[in-house]
Amino acid sequence: MKAKLLKNVLSVTAVVLAFLMLLSLATMLLQPKYMESLVEGSMISQYYREAGGHDVVFLGDCEVYANFSPMEMYREAGITAYVRGSPQQLIWQSYYILKETFQYETPKAVVYNVNAMRYDAPVSEAYNRLTIDKMRWSDEKIGIICASMTEEESFWSYVFPILRYHSRFDELTGEDVAYLFKTRDNTWNGHLMNKAVNPVENLPAKRILADYRFSDLCYTYLDKIRTLCQQNGTELILIKAPSVYPYWYDEYDAQIEDYAEANGLKFYNFLDYTEEIGIDYSTDTYDGGLHLNLSGATKLSAFFADILSGQHGLEDHRQDPAIAAVYDEKLRLYDLEANQ
Amino acid sequence: MIVNFLILLAGLAIYAGYGLSGLAYILAVTGLSYLAGRLIPKHPWVLWISVMFNVVALLVLKLQPLTGMEFMAPLGISYFTLQIISYHVDVYRGKYEPERNLLRYGLFVTYLPHIFLGPIERYDKMVPALFEQRHIDWDGVSSGGARLLWGLFKKLVIAARAGVIVSAVSGDPEQFRGAYALAAMLLYAVQLYADFSGGIDLVLGVSRMLGIRLSENFDAPYFSESFREFWRRWHMTLGSWLRDYVYIPLGGNRKGKARKTINVIVTFLVSGLWHGVHYLLWGLFNGIFVALGDKCKTRWKTLNRAATFLLVSLLWSFFIWPDSMTALKMIGSLFTTWNYGAFFAGIGTLGLNLGEWIVLTAGAGLLWAYDGLRNRINRRFYTLCPAGRVAVIGALGLAVLIFGMYGIGFDAGAFIYSRF
Repeated sequence: MKAKLLKNVLSVTAVVLAFLMLLSLATMLLQPKYMESLVEGSMISQYYREAGGHDVVFLGDCEVYANFSPMEMYREAGITAYVRGSPQQLIWQSYYILKETFQYETPKAVVYNVNAMRYDAPVSEAYNRLTIDKMRWSDEKIGIICASMTEEESFWSYVFPILRYHSRFDELTGEDVAYLFKTRDNTWNGHLMNKAVNPVENLPAKRILADYRFSDLCYTYLDKIRTLCQQNGTELILIKAPSVYPYWYDEYDAQIEDYAEANGLKFYNFLDYTEEIGIDYSTDTYDGGLHLNLSGATKLSAFFADILSGQHGLEDHRQDPAIAAVYDEKLRLYDLEANQ
Repeated sequence: MIVNFLILLAGLAIYAGYGLSGLAYILAVTGLSYLAGRLIPKHPWVLWISVMFNVVALLVLKLQPLTGMEFMAPLGISYFTLQIISYHVDVYRGKYEPERNLLRYGLFVTYLPHIFLGPIERYDKMVPALFEQRHIDWDGVSSGGARLLWGLFKKLVIAARAGVIVSAVSGDPEQFRGAYALAAMLLYAVQLYADFSGGIDLVLGVSRMLGIRLSENFDAPYFSESFREFWRRWHMTLGSWLRDYVYIPLGGNRKGKARKTINVIVTFLVSGLWHGVHYLLWGLFNGIFVALGDKCKTRWKTLNRAATFLLVSLLWSFFIWPDSMTALKMIGSLFTTWNYGAFFAGIGTLGLNLGEWIVLTAGAGLLWAYDGLRNRINRRFYTLCPAGRVAVIGALGLAVLIFGMYGIGFDAGAFIYSRF
């Protein structure tokens, strides 16, 4: 009787374990890999393989991962930087990503692109997924999920991704199989290189808004970011990346300037430095002026690197053999890809 | 007793979640019908007050579209009301003594798992199942769990996919006629069966896991060879309720052939009205086909089954399109609009891609195979060792997780029949 019971318990346990393994495998297979298509979805997770040792960490949306190249910043001024950007990264997402970053390292400066101050509510589930899906589980991930979910989303679909991605069973491609157990880096310290050239042709009309004030929610999170940096002894620098699309208004700019002044922060609006940087929107943009391409990012990164080292005292690591060995090799590969 | 009390409380909490006025109605009617049940043996006239009150309540609910009144009906009021009527009539007939314990009575009429969709239980079956025969064991937990997942499979894998096509076609009756209408009718037959019987599987599965055995509501109805047989195998508890409390009181088959035919048709008209005033014509057609009995049967089983399935599917038109005239027009379009070429050429534009069609076809095939072999499969399940049963449950769970249609854009909790 006892032996039979033991046999039953063992066999049931074995079957349950087998099904849990199958379930895990199915989940892994069905989840988007973000390796060859929609690579923006894997950017947040690439950081974990390179976390630590960065003097500067960038936070923000596509305007940071497209426009700033840490490789060029190192080449220009020996600054070690990482871009923790993701598509449509909202300010509360930047806050939780920053909080997570401090679990891994304490950079000397955090550069926050204020473009996301324009949004005070979750925008879309698809963008949430690109930012959150590949984050490691932590208090910060729970926080970012709760802060970001749209009404139609459920927390459990983040915990058990199969609940969200089960319907991909008929969309699976070679990418899903090839990257079932492996991954690869698609960015250069968080910079998504884009070499295409699509000059500015038609710009959307500037819209007149009823209210230009940033919401209290955005200010609350900007305060949280500022406080977090203060607590960790990190300088917070606010920037607005260049883009010729008329989405950034003078009224926005004035509010950020006031905030920066009131809190003793530096704010650089690179829209005002186009000529000094040397950006030419006939050659330096890959999508008609919304984002910079590699050529534009190279110019902007070098310009900003000089500001960071000149005005913010960030160290030149090019003479540090350990760091130089890593970055020189990265630069070699980066240049190979850039010149391909 | 504690478990029953908790089930009762959970049920009332869910009623409350759907609106406090609904909960108040349920509590008041439960209390009053309990008292009425106690009074009926000595004061039979109370039965007529009870029946009139409940029938009027149902009529007010079902005739909403005609009266122009709009209100939120309490959750599960149809099934709740039918159970109370049957209880009072049975007490009046002396079939059993009225229930003395208000909590037991309350749980009988409000037992939540079945109040959304049925089955419609009788007091003399339900109360022993709830209080006396309840026994939680491995057989119940494993078979209940498997049944629950099979119900989810039917609902989320089959019904949800068939529903995509049905919704696309029914949403534009001017454009989608002929072959499209036929496809919608056949797929709706699959959708309604998978959805309704899937919901019943959930109810019976959960109850079985709690050690409660409820009545079956379906017996492979699409294997029927005639309408009469179909109505013995489809929504069986409503059918037997109508038989015992409408058809037999009308005289049943005891008063000659003509009267029997009239009684059958009246019973189906009541069934139509129970579904809603829009379904009266559907009830009339069903009554006529049932009254015809086996007269149209051939000696070929497969042909009989196919013909019954086709006719039943045509009559589901009254459920697909919003009014009887449109439903009749769409049935007519099967003979007047010959667009099968265009239908097959554009089949991919109706909302399901090739992969989804394969899953729908395979799922429906599995449902058909299960229905054909259900007794053998169910017997075999009980012979499996515990690991074998867990493997069946795991396979069903994985199939539901991967192939089910749920998540953003889907309301997996909405069952077609819960609106009745």
